[in-house]
Amino acid sequence: MALRQKKDKFIANLLTKYPRLLDKWIQKSEFIEFNDSPWTQLEREVNQCRVTLITSGGVHLKSQTPFNMTDPAGDPTFREIPANISPSDLTITHNYYDHSDADKDINIILPLERIQDLKQSDDIGDVNHRHFSFMGHIMHHHIDTLMKDTAPNVAAKLKSDKVDIAILTPA
Amino acid sequence: MGLIQRSIEAAGIVTISVSLSKTITAKVLPPRALDFGFPLGHPIAFPGQVSLQLRVLRLLLKYLKEINTPGTIVEIDLTGNDNLTIT
Repeated sequence: MALRQKKDKFIANLLTKYPRLLDKWIQKSEFIEFNDSPWTQLEREVNQCRVTLITSGGVHLKSQTPFNMTDPAGDPTFREIPANISPSDLTITHNYYDHSDADKDINIILPLERIQDLKQSDDIGDVNHRHFSFMGHIMHHHIDTLMKDTAPNVAAKLKSDKVDIAILTPA
Repeated sequence: MGLIQRSIEAAGIVTISVSLSKTITAKVLPPRALDFGFPLGHPIAFPGQVSLQLRVLRLLLKYLKEINTPGTIVEIDLTGNDNLTIT
C-alpha cells in the first residue's frame, strides 16, 4: 500500500476514534452549502412502499472493480448491489473511515438483512431488487461528476425500478 | 451522501438519511436526516445488534412520514424514549 494510502487510513482511524478531532477537521474543511432542500411528498403508506438502500461506505461485491483509492480526489462511480446477495460476497474499499466493525457486520453500513427483516414484518411493502453503493470521499472535479452524472444516473435507475423510498447511510 | 440524497429526492423518490455529523448535514441540507449520535462507520449501530439496527431503521421510516419541512435534522437520543431535538 502506498504511503499516502497508509496515511489516509491512519487519519481515518483517528477521526473515528476521537470525535473532537473529527469536529476540528470539519471546521477546517469546505463543503458545498445549500439554503434549501429538494422535496418529494410521500404519497403512500410506508408499508405499501418499495424501499432501496444507498450507502457511501464503499461497499461492493468482491467480484466488482474496487473503488479507486489512488486518486486523492476520490471516486464518484457507484456499484449495484443485488438485494439478495450474501454479506459474505461483499467487501469494502474505502480508506477514509475505519470500517473494521462493518467488515464484521455489513448491516451497520448497508442494512441488507435488516431491510429484508422489515419486509417480513410488513413494516415495508417491498425491497427493491438492487441497492447502490458509492465511496463517500469525493472532492474537487469529481463532485461535478457525482452531481451531474452518477447520482442522477442512480436516481433514473430507481425511478425505472418504481422505488418509493431510499434510505441513505454515510460512513 | 447529502449530495446524492438531494439528487435522488429531486428525481421524485422520498429519501431519508442518517447523519454522522450534524455540522456537515446542516450545510448540505438534505430533505430529511436523523442524527443518532453514532460514530463514523456506524450509521446503523454496531455489529450484531440486530434489535437496535431494526429500531434505527424503524425510526427512519417513522420520521420519513412525520417530517414535513425540507431540510429537517432530528437528533434522537436512543437511551431515552422520545427525547428529540428537531432543527
